[in-house]
Amino acid sequence: MRSKVGLLLLIPLTFLIIFFYVPLISIIKTGLWNGGFTLKYLSSVLQNDYHRRVILFTVEQAIASTLLTLAFGLPGAYIFARYDFPGKGIIKSLLTVPFVMPSVMVALGYILLFGKDGIITGLLGHDLGILYSWKGILLAHAFYNFPIVIRMVSSLWQRINPHYEEAAMALGAKGWRLFWRVTLPMLSPAIFASAMLTFVFCFLSFSIPLIIGGYQYATIEVDIFTSVMTLLDFRTGAALAIIQITLSVAFMYLYLRSLDAYAKREEQRVFRKPLPFTRWDWLSLKGLAIAFYSFLVFIFIVSPLLAVLYDSLRFNGHWSLEWYSRIFSAKYNPMFGVTTLGAIRNSLAFGFTTIFLSLIVTLPIAYALHRWRFTGKRLFDVLAMLPLASSPITLGLGYIKVFHTTPLYYTFWIVAVAHTVIAYPFMLRAVSTSLKKIRPNLFEAALSLGAREWKAFIKVELPLALGGLIVGSVFAFAISIAELGATYMLAKPEYTTMTVAIYKFLGARQFGGASALSVLLMVVSTLGFLAIERIGEEVW
Amino acid sequence: MVRVELRGILKKWEGFKLGISDLVVEDGEFLTLLGPSGCGKTTTLRMIAGFETPNGGEIIFDGKPVNDLPPYERNIGIVFQDYALFPHMTVFKNVAFGLEMKRLPKLEIDRKVKWALEIVGLAGLEKRYPEQLSGGQQQRVALARALVVEPEVLLLDEPLSNLDAKIRERLRGEIKRIQRELGITTIYVTHDQEEAMAVSDRIAVMNVGKVEQVGKPLELYYKPRTEFVARFLGISNILELRAVGGRACLGGLCFKTPRDGRIRIFFRPESVYIKSGKTAEVVDYELLPGRIRLKLEIDGKSLIAERFLNELPFSVEEIPEHVDIKVRNFSVLGK
Repeated sequence: MRSKVGLLLLIPLTFLIIFFYVPLISIIKTGLWNGGFTLKYLSSVLQNDYHRRVILFTVEQAIASTLLTLAFGLPGAYIFARYDFPGKGIIKSLLTVPFVMPSVMVALGYILLFGKDGIITGLLGHDLGILYSWKGILLAHAFYNFPIVIRMVSSLWQRINPHYEEAAMALGAKGWRLFWRVTLPMLSPAIFASAMLTFVFCFLSFSIPLIIGGYQYATIEVDIFTSVMTLLDFRTGAALAIIQITLSVAFMYLYLRSLDAYAKREEQRVFRKPLPFTRWDWLSLKGLAIAFYSFLVFIFIVSPLLAVLYDSLRFNGHWSLEWYSRIFSAKYNPMFGVTTLGAIRNSLAFGFTTIFLSLIVTLPIAYALHRWRFTGKRLFDVLAMLPLASSPITLGLGYIKVFHTTPLYYTFWIVAVAHTVIAYPFMLRAVSTSLKKIRPNLFEAALSLGAREWKAFIKVELPLALGGLIVGSVFAFAISIAELGATYMLAKPEYTTMTVAIYKFLGARQFGGASALSVLLMVVSTLGFLAIERIGEEVW
Repeated sequence: MVRVELRGILKKWEGFKLGISDLVVEDGEFLTLLGPSGCGKTTTLRMIAGFETPNGGEIIFDGKPVNDLPPYERNIGIVFQDYALFPHMTVFKNVAFGLEMKRLPKLEIDRKVKWALEIVGLAGLEKRYPEQLSGGQQQRVALARALVVEPEVLLLDEPLSNLDAKIRERLRGEIKRIQRELGITTIYVTHDQEEAMAVSDRIAVMNVGKVEQVGKPLELYYKPRTEFVARFLGISNILELRAVGGRACLGGLCFKTPRDGRIRIFFRPESVYIKSGKTAEVVDYELLPGRIRLKLEIDGKSLIAERFLNELPFSVEEIPEHVDIKVRNFSVLGK
């Protein structure tokens, strides 16, 4: 068995070592080594007022974003767990949208809504001060993460055996006391796990603060990016990256621990049927609250997308397809090295290559973790998931350090590989989760009928894990086409993707072109979204 | 078909040890591993199937040790407690799975699947998916899937425990009939002594990792060697007496014994016959369908008698305070 473990894991392990651990070590070396061990760069970063403020702000905005996300998500979790109402299906589908919407596009939507000439600014007659401030960052982070809270918490809420609450009620608990003393403690693993995940995402956030936070509201991720790309200061970038990795690994550890507690509770087979809603219920206070909440969710999710669509169809104050014809005309794109068609082609090529490479890395690891017991398995699991705690910018920095002298540098493949390292942990989680749900008896039944281990895996377990595999693939695809930081750092102009092109349009204040390109990107993302919906698997 | 032998089997895991020094299942025999949960019966079955490896000893099929053979090379058929039907395959595909693994030609697969589904009485349901079947039907598909590969040993792990009482009784009869028709060596795991008695040629009673006794159903029922076997198979009367000169007596009720000294006499309630008389006090009684169960006391020792109502020398309305008893079929338990 031992030799088989080694053989099967050879490809993904080599991949991870070369494309994740070597760059990571090189960053650590850059930040801590100059002819000998030194804390010089680290301490100069920590003593610098700007960098210190950035680090503090990164943590603060992550906490604030998480609180806002919870505040918005928890009522939704309650409503989804407890009630069946007309339109629930639509709202539920809408919740999947943020998962597949590139953040560059959402940032653009916020500019179009809240900017000086924004739609909402125009409607209200004055600027709400949301854009280019921490408010916009928090709002965008809540947009991305509140569906996670709703999904995880409502899923657990439905699984709480009603007998607990009934027993408490029989003992005299009611209302808030019942919720506070009985329901909430049972929900806490879900609340904590979803909050930790939100926190990690917000902590590592890049595109949102880069575009709508500006220089003043930069996160560590943005700070590394500007240090390396604008100031070409690799030492400072590496020192910042070390601080970021240390913190994010700690947070990720907390998240994984909380996820274990959550998964254990979630295994409960009890499934409480939500209460149906009659026509009269709409007129009750509860009904109105649900209607209002659903309306808010709808506005929250749809408005940035509609703003982008609207803007792409407006030219000089009237309806027109001018922006679309412009982005497709060869003359109108001085900013990047490819035509719009080329950018679309690049995005798709990176997306599908990322799926392909992620499958190669994910499947052997998932199989080994699922099937075998071996010494150091827990450590292996952690090492395989560690890329989740690293960030695209750190990865980009590491790749520049390690590969700039190799023929790989500046090629198509280095970008695809970076996307794979960022995306595959999500695929691994999705596949592992579905594999775990398969009863071990099925595998044994297949063996007893004469199937060898790998054949039983392919014929029986893989088809049953297909949902997770497809969701994981869509995830990999969505992450790849939305990726901005690493692509921007590593791709030469001819490999410019749609996302990078939109960012460059934004930098040139060409919002119409950015909108038209974003709509095209939205079409591609929607295809991914529909694929997830078709499979009907829970994303998290 | 094969003869299965377990020789000196040892299996250890945290806080538990399983040891089977010698257990033989004859060619074509139906042997049941019977015992309470946690006794090691399922683990024993899983070792025979090859899902678990013993820490010591040998599992032998027809004289050949199979310890190192993986499950897919042992030519076994197994039916799990939860059936383990592949949810993404139709009934036909489920049953055909093992044949496809053997790469049989399609025509032969069709013919064999048809045969197996007819044997279990499910012809016509080929296109259904497992979730569209009742529990009993799923059980039959699982049985067909195990049988169609013509295994040398059929292993059944509590195959009926998820079913309603009525279906359970009908299906156990069918399992027995099919096993006889095919003459297939069968090892059956259950915790239900009635089921074990109904289907088995022989039963091995297991308790905390050991085989307590192996024998034919009635032999175990009437001549258990240990108190555990006695009590596990049904209501037991066990009298602790002192034997002198080859006889042990309790208030005029005497038993011939093979040895003298402290001795435990065992008999079933239905071995106690009742006459009018004064030896035993009737402490309590319970009416069962067509039967009566009497709680008796002799010299401060309790025992239970069970008789059909029409065998009683008195009517149920006027049960006397005392009766005479005679015990027909008793055995002496080991120490």
